[in-house]
Amino acid sequence: MIASLRRISVIAGHTFTQLVRMKVFGFLAVFAIILIAAHFFKLPHTYGPESVAEEELRMMKSSAMGAMSLFAVIFSIAATGLLIPRDVEDRTLYTILCKPVPRFDYLTGKYLGVLFTVFIALLIMDLLMSGALYLRTMGVLEERVNTATALGWSEEVKETERQEVLRQGVTWSVHAGVLAIFLKAMVSAGVALLISTFSTSTLFTIIMGFLVYFIGHYAGGAREYWLSQQLDVSPFTRFGSHLMSVVFPDFRLFNIIDGAIAGIPITASMIWKLTGISMIYAAVYLILSWFAFAKKEF
Amino acid sequence: MKTSLAVEISHLTKEFPSPFKRKKIRAVTDVTLQIGEGEIYGLIGPNGSGKSTTMKALLGLLAPTEGECKIFRRNSVKVDSRKDVGYLPENPYFYKHLTGKETLAFYGKLCSLRGKALSARIDELLKMVDLERARHQKVGTFSKGMLQRIGLAQALIHEPRLLILDEPTAGVDPVGSREIRDLILALKEAGKTVFLCSHLLEQVQEICDRVGIIFNGKLKREGTLEELITLKDRLEVTVSGDADAQENFLTLTKELDGLDLISSGAPKTSLESLFIEMANEEERRKNA
Ligand SMILES: Nc1ncnc2c1ncn2[C@@H]1O[C@H](COP(=O)(O)OP(=O)(O)OP(=O)(O)O)[C@@H](O)[C@H]1O
Ligand SMILES: [Mg+2]
Repeated sequence: MIASLRRISVIAGHTFTQLVRMKVFGFLAVFAIILIAAHFFKLPHTYGPESVAEEELRMMKSSAMGAMSLFAVIFSIAATGLLIPRDVEDRTLYTILCKPVPRFDYLTGKYLGVLFTVFIALLIMDLLMSGALYLRTMGVLEERVNTATALGWSEEVKETERQEVLRQGVTWSVHAGVLAIFLKAMVSAGVALLISTFSTSTLFTIIMGFLVYFIGHYAGGAREYWLSQQLDVSPFTRFGSHLMSVVFPDFRLFNIIDGAIAGIPITASMIWKLTGISMIYAAVYLILSWFAFAKKEF
Repeated sequence: MKTSLAVEISHLTKEFPSPFKRKKIRAVTDVTLQIGEGEIYGLIGPNGSGKSTTMKALLGLLAPTEGECKIFRRNSVKVDSRKDVGYLPENPYFYKHLTGKETLAFYGKLCSLRGKALSARIDELLKMVDLERARHQKVGTFSKGMLQRIGLAQALIHEPRLLILDEPTAGVDPVGSREIRDLILALKEAGKTVFLCSHLLEQVQEICDRVGIIFNGKLKREGTLEELITLKDRLEVTVSGDADAQENFLTLTKELDGLDLISSGAPKTSLESLFIEMANEEERRKNA
């Protein structure tokens, strides 16, 4: 029987409902508090007005996107790691798999359900952050223009100043950064999905998921350093190191999130490339999970 | 036996890996059984004898170590064999966060039901299993008997031709248990096939057409209820007449004048006494 989009969406929709009823969106309240706190945070203006004002905007982005990133990764690993083993433990899975539901549909539905939840949460957070950032940018801009006028700067200089400030405000790069956070969550959830098909315990899956995530942050750099130190690398070693990069995805890919916080423009091609790579990772994890899950007995 | 078969289990053997010993755990050994369409088949046996394992293998939840299972001629390992079967697992458990109605809607949608047809079916089933009051109640707060009923409704949602019920009356009160029995009989009237296992032998005796008795994973006896509980080496005669005539009969005089033979035949035991007898025999064999 071929995979059915309808069935997958039934399972994904149910997973979304399940997560919502587990009150995961409660995090949004915490996020709003972080934003409000960041809004009232002011750096001491002792070093002259230039970079400080922009620094405040960066701080705001950094705390908001840091919280988003933390939420997205923790949530995607924990939720994926929790839901499937729980279905097995509670034997709810029997009642689903004894219906004409291919195991692939079940897995994909769960995965997409978690991703959909993360997506909605990030979307809301992006809107909240953009709103707060916009207000703050306007405030900073006014301050700077007033200062500049008081100092009697030329219109030309004022315009550059204005551009400088706006560059730290709400830009497409900020949204691209949020998209990168989503993609990071997608890869993390894929890792957790694969682990959960092997393990039978929720805790094991979640701990292993985070372990892979942290190793993925450092392994890429370590591998490149190691390869550069070797004088001649045998094809076998090279293959081994590539295999490692599948097991431990290189999470440095997502460093463009930091770029977005720093106000560096992110090009469309960078985002396309990142999306493509993340999709490939997700697809590989899903297929590997399916192989493990198809044979599994409960 | 009917011409078309709903269930064919042939030479099913199921082993589970045992984590500590080299030797594997054999839960089911070479079980062969068939269930004709429209029949009610009861599988009975002590705890851990492999009843649930047999059912799970039939549903494709477990892969057989040897042998194969078929539902309406389709191999159980294939997903489309599950189109025409409803399953009630033992001690069923559903998503706690859904209400009674949402639970049925979820399973209905998985079986490609939707829209008006789905909501009509949900209403019908909630009424049938007497859970209309619990329509908007979270399943997490259901009692054991209520869980069993919602499980039964869930198994019936897509009007399957075959029902596999693992201890359908476990934890249900006597009245509810009777209702479930009537429901199963009504399903048989409607032409459905039912494969069930239960520890309530009296009920099995009441409703099943055929019964299989399983011990330690091996199917020891199988047959129609009639065949199983009839004591063939005995004759039961019911006579009527006055006391003197009965006296005459009892002393086995040759003249049987004045006696009308009402009925005669082999006496029946109960399924329960047969089961206990077999269990004792099994015990003796093991100890020997
Ligand atoms: N997943 C499993 N792994 C290992 N052993 C198992 C597994 N499932 C079942 N068994 C073993 O298989 C045997 C048969 O179990 P099964 O659940 O089929 O019994 P049952 O007849 O349904 O018993 P009950 O009447 O208590 O429900 C038992 O010895 C059990 O321990
Ligand atoms: Mg059982």
